[in-house]
Amino acid sequence: MDRPEGKTGIIGWGVYIPRYRLKASDIAKLWGFDPTTPSSLGIHEKAVAAVDEDSITMGWYAASSAIKRAGIKPEKIEAVFVGSESKPYAVKPSGTVIGDALGVSRKRLTTDLEFACRAGSEAVRLVVSLVSSGTIGYGLAIGSDTAQANPGDVLEFTASSGAAAFVIGPAEDAAARFEAVVTYVTDTPDFWRREGSKYPMHGEGFTGEPAYFHHITSSVNLLMEETGLRPEDFDYAVFHQPNGKYPLRVASKLGIPKEKVLPGLVTPWIGNTYNASALIGLSKVLEEAKPGQRILVAPFGSGAGSDAMSLIVTDKASARVNEAPTVEDFLSRKTYIDYAEYAKSRHIIWRNWG
Amino acid sequence: MAGSFEEVRIMKNSISIFWRKRSDFYKIRLTKCLECGKVSFPSRTKCPYCGSKNVRIVEASGKGTLVNYTVSYYRTEDSDELQPRIIGLVKLDEGVIIPAEIVDVDPDSLRKGLRVEAVLRRLKSDDPFGLIYYGLKFSPVLK
Repeated sequence: MDRPEGKTGIIGWGVYIPRYRLKASDIAKLWGFDPTTPSSLGIHEKAVAAVDEDSITMGWYAASSAIKRAGIKPEKIEAVFVGSESKPYAVKPSGTVIGDALGVSRKRLTTDLEFACRAGSEAVRLVVSLVSSGTIGYGLAIGSDTAQANPGDVLEFTASSGAAAFVIGPAEDAAARFEAVVTYVTDTPDFWRREGSKYPMHGEGFTGEPAYFHHITSSVNLLMEETGLRPEDFDYAVFHQPNGKYPLRVASKLGIPKEKVLPGLVTPWIGNTYNASALIGLSKVLEEAKPGQRILVAPFGSGAGSDAMSLIVTDKASARVNEAPTVEDFLSRKTYIDYAEYAKSRHIIWRNWG
Repeated sequence: MAGSFEEVRIMKNSISIFWRKRSDFYKIRLTKCLECGKVSFPSRTKCPYCGSKNVRIVEASGKGTLVNYTVSYYRTEDSDELQPRIIGLVKLDEGVIIPAEIVDVDPDSLRKGLRVEAVLRRLKSDDPFGLIYYGLKFSPVLK
């Protein structure tokens, strides 16, 4: 396969998962849901950002870890793209704060991207294109969200907080090199948030078959068609993780056994981190995969679209794992909070100074 | 939350002061004296020990050890949601002790000698529509 993306790879990766966790059973009890609702969604608990955290602070941490693993000076990074649907500002780029706080070159391309949960994945695609064309040497792609859910909405079980970031550069230095990347996008009304609205809405029956399953199977099948690869050629498969069940079901539709999905499945323990969801899963796989193993990654974003990427792990990956906190480090660091603390942290309730 | 036009247009904090000093909010910048060799905080043009102007500004690694701390229950408008606040003295790996806010740790589990690292957090904000001010606090190290 002689594709432009083959000249590029992931040089360094990093994630951030907040310390605090809210049990799904607490949400079910508070709002009077059927107690089996969490298990039907495949969710035990979700990560909750602290009151002084947002998508900028979490994206900064993930990106600083990615730079440490890449082993390059921040000044060499010439692009910072941030995918988020929970930007602290409606107008003022997150990438300028993150880039300056990291000490990234000021001669950089910087923008924030919005495409529901796949804007971070689009950031990866853009940096891959810029590196493969020779426009830049290294770029930073970040997916970061403090996902919002209307209190009492079924989305509240899963909407959580987290970030992932990748330094992408030339394939020769890569921990995992890109083999092929494709994208499949349509106009689908499955999930949205209008300007001025604090919480998103979802199109009930649209979220499953016409949105998540159609777009991911389409992008993955497109990848297979264009590359000649088959499901059995992949050692790992990572999909967008809106809950703990959908990734296993879409794998089944594609003929991929669940044993290849489980290593990258993190939603049951941290919830759906939206733009970081599949990218944290990919990071976890990078921390255990062996050289030569092939990874399928298929993020999804409502609205709707999915990217399908094939990556091959190199012999440089394992030496970089312990250069920064791993996904397992974050999964095991946790402090449980109750719904009241969660409500304060996520600005669902405010203190009235009256 | 403020409501009226008069309330929402007021900026409590100085944007210009923050903008001029943003390098010191985003990085821990130390003053290394090229004459006496001592390192001090914050960044400045003159060594506080020997008075020499022959100094270089260097970035700290961001890691250190908690030397001492106090838990503050004093409530201000900026600390509205993050109460109580933990104010610590952190001995950086470069040997300099600096004052810093400590986050992500229960006051009951605080101890001297705790390894901490600098993390970017929201320091304060002119709510609901003004600027958000970011800067470094310290959190227990993960690795």
